[in-house]
Amino acid sequence: MKLKLIWICLAILVLMPFQVYAGGPMEIAEIEVKKILAVLGDPSLAGETGATAKKEKLRAIFDNIFDYVELSKRTLGRNWKKLDTQQRDEFIKLYRKLLDSVYMERLLAYKDEKVIFSKESMISEKKAEVFSNIDTGDKQIPINYRLILKKNQWKVYDVIIEGVSMVKNYRSQFNEILSKNKPEELLNILREKTRAKE
Amino acid sequence: MRNFLLIFGLFTLVMAGCAHNPSLSPDAPEADLEQTYAQKTPLILSQSDTASDQAINEDDDYLEDDDYEVVEVADPLYYWNKTWYHFNDKMYFWVLKPAAQGYKAVAPESVRTGVSNFFHNLTTPIRLVGSLLQGKFKRAGIELGNFLINTTWGVAGFGNLTKKHPELNPPPEDVGQAFGAWGIDHGIYLVWPVFGPSSLRDTVGLVGDYFLHPVTYVDPWYASSGIKAYDTVNETSFRIGDYEALKEAAIDPYVSIRDAYIQNRKKKVEE
Repeated sequence: MKLKLIWICLAILVLMPFQVYAGGPMEIAEIEVKKILAVLGDPSLAGETGATAKKEKLRAIFDNIFDYVELSKRTLGRNWKKLDTQQRDEFIKLYRKLLDSVYMERLLAYKDEKVIFSKESMISEKKAEVFSNIDTGDKQIPINYRLILKKNQWKVYDVIIEGVSMVKNYRSQFNEILSKNKPEELLNILREKTRAKE
Repeated sequence: MRNFLLIFGLFTLVMAGCAHNPSLSPDAPEADLEQTYAQKTPLILSQSDTASDQAINEDDDYLEDDDYEVVEVADPLYYWNKTWYHFNDKMYFWVLKPAAQGYKAVAPESVRTGVSNFFHNLTTPIRLVGSLLQGKFKRAGIELGNFLINTTWGVAGFGNLTKKHPELNPPPEDVGQAFGAWGIDHGIYLVWPVFGPSSLRDTVGLVGDYFLHPVTYVDPWYASSGIKAYDTVNETSFRIGDYEALKEAAIDPYVSIRDAYIQNRKKKVEE
């Protein structure tokens, strides 16, 4: 009897180093994507009537996974310093609106492709990249997510589709605009763009 | 009594494991704050995010990210390129898209997929030479093997039997990528009418691809062009909506496409 107990203790001690981070970046990404797919495939939200409710639910999930502050900073990069506090506030708001509507449109076009998560790799102590693929039947589209650990929560700060990073893409566009114009002009353009989407 | 102590000991050990869970944070109230301000409009930022005298490490981390240095391509022919960008844009909406939509309406997906497979099989020489030029012999071997399988068992390539096997689907190579692998830089950005975004390096690559494309050798020249045009319409029939979505998402579509092209090519060269 004593021997058995000792074995059990040893077993636990040996297994301890292998405890998994419940809530690691890949797991978080998978959970959120599953939530999104559930909303998209929900039969009770189908059609015109369900569209608004669907959008509301998706927006709530976006708020949960995206770190809009981090996204904004990284997208503007060095240009972030060119904006004053009020402009930064507004930029983050407008950028969030833009991204929400862009993602919404793409997600609503989703039919029933399979999403497969393959692996995660740590970029640094607080940053990770999660690899996934969308199987559209005739081809596979690689989609990677980059997450950052802030205040003990993993949040997405970049989406990379077929090698094209969303942050880099917007950054090149904003760079172009800010190289010739003041920050106020950038905000104007964003205001126009998001107003047109409402 | 002793048994009880042991069980209690085990229990604490197991519970210690749960303490390492990063998401079960002790600062749950702070996380909630971030949640609430994200969901309410107007979006109010907490002090720590905009104050410039905050902990340098976390706040300026976004500047240190080397990976996010913008990979610029020289675009000295900006206005020339932009003219062709507008031309291609109109071509898409006035010619290509209607053709693809009409075609999609009459041709069932199985037919279109078959045609796509056929052309994919036919352009094996491009991928083969592209791989060989980079010394990727294993990849070249796979391309050749696929060609043989799909031409014979796949009935002239209409059936792509190797598609479903990831190990038999290496990333497609071309001559332009070979140049990239050799260390040759893009040079300058170019936008061609009809062919779309390219660069100095990739255009030379496209010339190479042209001579490796079997259909090039079809007489007369308009039959050859016609066949290639059909291939384009067929491919587009699967992707109607993609270009529109890109334009919708972009603030400046010309810059967005230029950047996406460069990023995508970089990834392809690295694969």
